[in-house]
Amino acid sequence: MYRLALNMLFGDRAKLAMLLCGLAFSALLMAQQSSVFFGIMSWTYTPMVNIRAQVWVSDPMVEQVNDAKPLRDTDLGRVRSVDGVAWAAPLHTSFVQARMQDGNFKLITLVGIDADTFAGAPAVLTQGRIEDHRLPDTVIVDEWGASLMGRMGVGPDGKPRSTPLKVGDTFEINDIQARIVGICKVKRAFTGGPFVYTTYDRAKGYTLGARRTLSFMLVEPQKGVTPAELCGRIERDTGLKAWTSDTVIWNWGERSLARNTFWWFWTNTGIPFSFGTAVLLGLFVGIAISGQTFYSFVLENLKYFAAIKAMGAGMGVIARMLFVQAFTAGLIGFGLGAGMAQAIGRAMIEKGMPPFVMFPQILWATFALVLGISFVSAIIGIIKVSRVDAASVFRG
Amino acid sequence: MSHEAHSIAVRASGVDMFFGTPDNQVVALKQADFEARRGELIMLVGPSGCGKTTLLSVIAGTLTPQAGTVEVFGQRLDGLGQEELTAFRRKNLGFVFQSFNLIPTLSVIENVMVPLLIQGRPYDEARARSLSIIDKVGLKGREDGRPNALSGGQQQRVAIARALVHEPPLLICDEPTSALDKDTGAHIMQLVRDLSRSPERCVVVVTHDHRIFRFADRIAEMEDGRISRVVDDPKLLDTTHL
Ligand SMILES: Nc1ncnc2c1ncn2[C@@H]1O[C@H](COP(=O)(O)OP(=O)(O)OP(=O)(O)O)[C@@H](O)[C@H]1O
Ligand SMILES: [Mg+2]
Repeated sequence: MYRLALNMLFGDRAKLAMLLCGLAFSALLMAQQSSVFFGIMSWTYTPMVNIRAQVWVSDPMVEQVNDAKPLRDTDLGRVRSVDGVAWAAPLHTSFVQARMQDGNFKLITLVGIDADTFAGAPAVLTQGRIEDHRLPDTVIVDEWGASLMGRMGVGPDGKPRSTPLKVGDTFEINDIQARIVGICKVKRAFTGGPFVYTTYDRAKGYTLGARRTLSFMLVEPQKGVTPAELCGRIERDTGLKAWTSDTVIWNWGERSLARNTFWWFWTNTGIPFSFGTAVLLGLFVGIAISGQTFYSFVLENLKYFAAIKAMGAGMGVIARMLFVQAFTAGLIGFGLGAGMAQAIGRAMIEKGMPPFVMFPQILWATFALVLGISFVSAIIGIIKVSRVDAASVFRG
Repeated sequence: MSHEAHSIAVRASGVDMFFGTPDNQVVALKQADFEARRGELIMLVGPSGCGKTTLLSVIAGTLTPQAGTVEVFGQRLDGLGQEELTAFRRKNLGFVFQSFNLIPTLSVIENVMVPLLIQGRPYDEARARSLSIIDKVGLKGREDGRPNALSGGQQQRVAIARALVHEPPLLICDEPTSALDKDTGAHIMQLVRDLSRSPERCVVVVTHDHRIFRFADRIAEMEDGRISRVVDDPKLLDTTHL
């Protein structure tokens, strides 16, 4: 009977197409919006991904990574003396205005890293050498930032040009020259424009006015000491706040700064709400279109279901037929929608805008919701068929 | 008495069936008594609205009467629950509906297979048996087409094939030949009659079609919700309303 149930479903191409459209559209909407949501949320803790260190130490009031509350330089010594610390390096992050050669200003994220250890330095340089970073007045700019800033730059010939900045180009931060000695590849961030790396000491110079410049401390535990363990010791001994740096969303610990950043944005911004609305919308549209189409499919076939009932098929068999039909449509609809979401996502990832992170969990959740839609549709159909009177088939 | 009990296939006695609300009541069956014997083909005739279809529904267990008893092959239908009635129909009944109720999105052969699949027969067996009955009703070669591609008469033959395919003990037909020409109608009735020729079988046919009266063993006349007369010879019928 289930084979016939499927043939009944596939026999009506127009209805099937509409049913699949509804399911695919809602799957697409749910998967795509969730992926963009997690993409944007993953941008909120970008520094945790770009600046690799096992333990981050901050002011006790800090709640998330984009909101640094500067520490005293002397705190560095206090942290270094905590038992289990292999080394601790200073890190500066701030938003400052950079003046391009054409006179335009551009807000940049200035990252000052320790010149001795290069702790927190970008992992991948596409141009230049990290060692040149020790030369005076030098910076390293991220690839995307270089193209943003280059768009407004002026070439050596004095003409405006739109090519990205490259090694050797210069701009100014607070009237101090910044010469590019490297271009790096880093993950894009939710806040801040181009990432401009320099040494911790030069960052002090670039941010003349700032009284304190120590945003975070990057700490490496000694062998045999886990990051979480060390965090506990640092907090106990110094009264500062210490964080682990795990960024794997499904698997991050209590002390993860990325996790706290994620939840800070979750509770303090409208992002989850707006994306949640879109996902709900997808769900409702799915239920509305698919439920409605499936219902009209059932209505159209009602007298045949009644005939099948009269011929001796119990409601159990008929219910299973409807489930087979609804779930088959759900499966195909999900496949189409998820496939489209993947394709759109791939195109997005290439452009990087908006960010797109499709966890397998998103697909599973979407799958579950689409099956939920199918389930609701089937139930509506079953109720309808269960109410039809088998005797009605005898009437003309 | 005991011999008579064994020879009865269907017995309905004192059946009342009303439709509608108490203040706006339609009486479809009023103290109707009906009997069909084993191995016979009995026809049910009467003016439109006299309750023929309703009586068939009651015998088939798709309608539960307000009063009276129905017994089919020794099985009392009153007191059976919905699922038991469904199982009863699945095992014992074949239907030819007044409007054929063929499923338009399924092929001819799939339509014919339905009763077998409902009984839980394997797909391949159901297909083979359906193919041979389709052949018997003269539709060989059309089995993979859609019912809508067939003429009314051909559709009716599909409906009859579907009713016969699982060789049901009780075959119930509502106007089975209304859309058929004389020869095809005769051919189909011959098939149906052959089926009835066994003590495990019985066929009840509602019809207006006097051309097929000759296939009946007996003819029951209905009037105003009850059987008024049962005759052995069509010539004895009151044909004024036919
Ligand atoms: N479900 C129903 N609701 C209300 N009235 C009904 C219903 N079914 C049948 N009736 C009424 O019961 C009476 C008998 O109907 P039935 O269909 O049994 O007649 P019939 O003899 O089969 O007529 P026809 O030859 O036109 O098919 C009619 O008056 C009809 O209007
Ligand atoms: Mg009728």
